[in-house]
Amino acid sequence: MAKHEKAEVLVVGAGASGGVVAKHLSEHGFKVVVLEQGGWVNQGELPGNHPEYELATAQKWSADPNTRASDADYPVDQTDSQAPVVQMYNGVGGSTIMFAAVWPRPTPGDFHVRTLDGVADDWPLTYQELLPYYEAVDVEFGVSGLGGNPAYPPGAAPPLPPLPIGTTGRKLAEGMNKLGWHWWPGVNAIASKAHGDQEQCERFGTCVAGCPAGAKGSTDVTHWPAAIRSGVRLVTGARVKEVTLDEQGLANGAIYIDRDGNEQFQPASIVVMASNGVGTPRILLMSQSQRFPDGLANSSGLVGKRLMLHPCATAAGIFDEEFDELGPSGQKIGSMQFYESDASRGFLRGAYWTMYDGIGPHLHMLRHTLGEGIGSEPFWGAPFPAAMKAAAHHTLMWGIVAEDLPEEHNKVTLDPHKTDSDGLPAAKITYTMSDNTHKLIDFHCQRAMESLDAAGAKRSFVFLRDVPSGHLLGTARMGNDPGSSVVDRWGRSHDVPNLYIVDGSVFVTGFGVNPTGSIAAIAKRIATRLVDTAGDQKVSA
Amino acid sequence: MNNPNKIKRLDNAQRERLANLADELMPAGAGLPSASEADVHQNWIDLALDVVPMMAPALQVALEAPGEPAEAIEWLQREQPDVFMAFSFILSGAYFMHPRVRQALGYQGLAVEENPPLEGEAEYYLEDELLEPVLARGAIYRQVPESS
Repeated sequence: MAKHEKAEVLVVGAGASGGVVAKHLSEHGFKVVVLEQGGWVNQGELPGNHPEYELATAQKWSADPNTRASDADYPVDQTDSQAPVVQMYNGVGGSTIMFAAVWPRPTPGDFHVRTLDGVADDWPLTYQELLPYYEAVDVEFGVSGLGGNPAYPPGAAPPLPPLPIGTTGRKLAEGMNKLGWHWWPGVNAIASKAHGDQEQCERFGTCVAGCPAGAKGSTDVTHWPAAIRSGVRLVTGARVKEVTLDEQGLANGAIYIDRDGNEQFQPASIVVMASNGVGTPRILLMSQSQRFPDGLANSSGLVGKRLMLHPCATAAGIFDEEFDELGPSGQKIGSMQFYESDASRGFLRGAYWTMYDGIGPHLHMLRHTLGEGIGSEPFWGAPFPAAMKAAAHHTLMWGIVAEDLPEEHNKVTLDPHKTDSDGLPAAKITYTMSDNTHKLIDFHCQRAMESLDAAGAKRSFVFLRDVPSGHLLGTARMGNDPGSSVVDRWGRSHDVPNLYIVDGSVFVTGFGVNPTGSIAAIAKRIATRLVDTAGDQKVSA
Repeated sequence: MNNPNKIKRLDNAQRERLANLADELMPAGAGLPSASEADVHQNWIDLALDVVPMMAPALQVALEAPGEPAEAIEWLQREQPDVFMAFSFILSGAYFMHPRVRQALGYQGLAVEENPPLEGEAEYYLEDELLEPVLARGAIYRQVPESS
């Protein structure tokens, strides 16, 4: 097996959290090596400004790794779940390649769910502790937005001015004002002006198929070029098979398989897992040893468990007025009106709403054929032309990000039968939506339709519900008690003191907002701590 | 992984059948051309299959559906709903790429176009004190007990 020069820090995964950590550490003088199973995305190949852009998201640029099935992907068996529930992208930039770049923060109460609502658990850190890191990563990801949102305590405004809410955002905002409901101009990790390595947003509106303009805060733009300039060695096509231990039980590197099928060993003093809420537990569970027969860092038995996925819903309204239908997508406006818990609703926790323009006629066809109620009405044939004319540039939509609570039966395990192209076990997802989540989604869909009606929709309906979000959280939770958590409040494994986890796996609860801003802030906090405590860090000799 | 280059092109008879089926789904009207007028059965279905090759088998089944076009569509919807869904998905995807269709539906150009924000545009859409009611209601987040 080929063996490489030892790194001070080995990062596994080149997505959002890996980008934040690798850039931060390299800029502070650390010798960092990163292993990424995928490759670089060529912006010119992204479908966003090609005629086939809408169709492309159904296969090659699908967010479902099983559909995409590229060499960089590993199978994710979802047959024991209610529906396909997992989305991700494997490559430099990770799932930020396909994320919508919606960048809301959780609220202070989100860190105290047990105390406030009597369910789940409190986080071992607070909103105020994270605030400086939120503000730091806002700059790194080129976040645009308006400060002063009354849904949050005071803090710095986003570093870039807001993107226009346009005719569509304004229309829904007027409806929200009629109802006396909260809304705020969207905060997005999308550059409203050129910023660092990011270009200005061109408002293509195809953000979730990758940004051909280089304006979105995906880490292949915002972090990896800068990290490489600082000396990071990023190895692509490197699928990690196992994180290894020395005789003292310290992590000492990782074995990976290159694209030629050869095993290689990358030694390191510190190992940082940044492979998302499915990839990280998969690798830890594959890293079995005499010391950790149930998987690395798994003395609590919680590696892979408490999976949270943020099931999503969308409500749509068809209006008489014609709208501009511009990007980004992204959010034009957002709402926290029903975000905080209210037990009188019959469920706990809440959801964030994002209003976004889906750009293109194919989406209108899908709404008509899949929407609740409307989907069973005649569409194809004679009604088709008039229905399409009535929908295109006349439809507004709320997306709803539902907070699902952590439950141990929702989990990532190793599939006993399926393997990836290198013969490594596939990930297996077992996930059931709770009654609380069903009630939550239904309540929010009803309120979202009321909002569309108040804005003047001639018809509103639920387009989709219980659909994947791409948010993969909670499978190696942080906590103060080694018996009931995998890592401590600094992301360090309770079992292996030089093994860190920095991705969405460490979430204690999922919040009800898009999580990438929080993932990045937590990763930044851990990286900062790593620098500050380097002299005290136990490392493999 | 599926290789788009392995997708077999449709022959002339298949294209003719496809045009008839497509017109049954997407006839002309309201300023929109019919599917065949938009050449769905020619280069646009080829491009669509290059992008979504996994739907080629469904297309094949749909082309072989029995009966006249109206009967075939009805049969697919009744007997093969998954095939019908894939068939209508790829066919409409091909149709919506045609410049004439895009223009009739209000989409300029072959694809989305550059439209960077203008100076002052963000402020313009917030005019007339649109945010005032939100600000007037004040903070809406829950306070956290200091002891927690």
